[in-house]
Amino acid sequence: MTAPSSPEAPWPVRTVARKIADWIGRLGEVWVEGQVAQLSRRGGAATVFLTLRDPAADLSVPVTCHRDVAERPGLELSEGARVIVRARPDYYVARGSFSLRATEIRAVGLGELLARIERIRQLLAAEGLFDAVRKRPLPFAPAVVGVITGRDSAAERDVLVTARRRWPAVRFEMFNCAVQGPQAAANVIEGLRKLDAHPAVEVIVIARGGGSVEDLLPFSDEGLVRAIAATRTPVVTAVGHETDTTLVDHVADVRAATPTDAAHRIVPEIGEQRRLVEGYRARARHLLTARLEQQERWLESVRTRPVLASPDRLLHGREEDVLALRTRARRMLVHRVEGAERDLEHARARVAALSPAATLDRGYAVVQRADGALVRDPADVADGELLRVRLAGGRLAVRVDSGAPSDPTTPEDEQA
Amino acid sequence: MSTDDTEPTTTYEQAREELADVVRRLEAGGLTLEESLGLWERGEELAKLCQHWLDRARERLAAAAPADGAGQD
Repeated sequence: MTAPSSPEAPWPVRTVARKIADWIGRLGEVWVEGQVAQLSRRGGAATVFLTLRDPAADLSVPVTCHRDVAERPGLELSEGARVIVRARPDYYVARGSFSLRATEIRAVGLGELLARIERIRQLLAAEGLFDAVRKRPLPFAPAVVGVITGRDSAAERDVLVTARRRWPAVRFEMFNCAVQGPQAAANVIEGLRKLDAHPAVEVIVIARGGGSVEDLLPFSDEGLVRAIAATRTPVVTAVGHETDTTLVDHVADVRAATPTDAAHRIVPEIGEQRRLVEGYRARARHLLTARLEQQERWLESVRTRPVLASPDRLLHGREEDVLALRTRARRMLVHRVEGAERDLEHARARVAALSPAATLDRGYAVVQRADGALVRDPADVADGELLRVRLAGGRLAVRVDSGAPSDPTTPEDEQA
Repeated sequence: MSTDDTEPTTTYEQAREELADVVRRLEAGGLTLEESLGLWERGEELAKLCQHWLDRARERLAAAAPADGAGQD
């Protein structure tokens, strides 16, 4: 119909706009599901503008509709709401802008939302994101705790106050952001990345107070669940009340029932720790003391053993031995001396028995020459020879007189 | 206690073991007087050494917690 455009014959803007509008107009009607990111209703304007966001991808499309469509009775249209829109792609030639022109808007029901969350849960569970083996242990007493909460929220206060009371040395790295509405999931993901990259942060707490199921929807966001699974830092979640279960609770390393409970999980109680240390200390001291006392008793028992306690006992037996030997020796000696004396007596008696004295006593005499030789025969002596005569009473000297008569029967002519 | 200013090189366990051995040998008998006297002197020395180590241990226990006397009785 229209001649092709060229530098010599360019098309006017209206032609181009009309051609685009024609082409887009032929696309026809579609059903789209998304999340209302922005909603603007201007005073009496007939057209309502909203931004429809894809919750799983970072993109959105503008949607326009007549006020009657947006304000249909029974439809609670608000930012963050999940909606299904029946629309026709539309090109507004006056501004050259694209939008989906909605003719019908339906809210996604709660049951439908929960069923969708359940499908995501099953998908992620099948991937193993919720497996117990993935759970990381929390540090015992972290120096720095990363906290993601709504600004000035009760959850924030509960975490900070409780944790500080339990462990006064704890420090916090805060990340405050929206914790409900269409931006919440993206904000929390941003906070997670920031705190995970912080070198001092040892554990991250995501805390939010209770709310309606819709309020808590961002915490079942697939992107957020994957972001938590991807952190290097352990993550503790405390979202909603104990009965509320969001998908982040499944993926978190520790799920706390409440923000206060989260504070209990991340830091130990200082008094309790002191008592524990004191208890160990007392036990150690007691053990050591008992051991020492046992050794002291042992040493005492050894020192009082007779061999050590009274060393003079070492000498005792020996002194007696010496004494006994000495006594025996003395007795022996006395015995010997007495024996010798007896022998002597005998010998003396024998000597006496054998001596010539008895014979002399009976009146016999022994005559000896000067040289001591015994005179047994008168022929042995010369006349006038001097002889010695031994008598019982003593000795006397005699001279031989050959002239005198000899009388052999009476030899008693002694004494000069 | 008995020993020099320098810490003895014999540990408590070594002294204790040797002391037990000395007593055993003294009680078993069959030694010369000189041997048993020598053993007894060694035993005295070892007993003092043991006592020294135990006294030192007590001192250290007491020094570790001057506030409470739980370990002392």
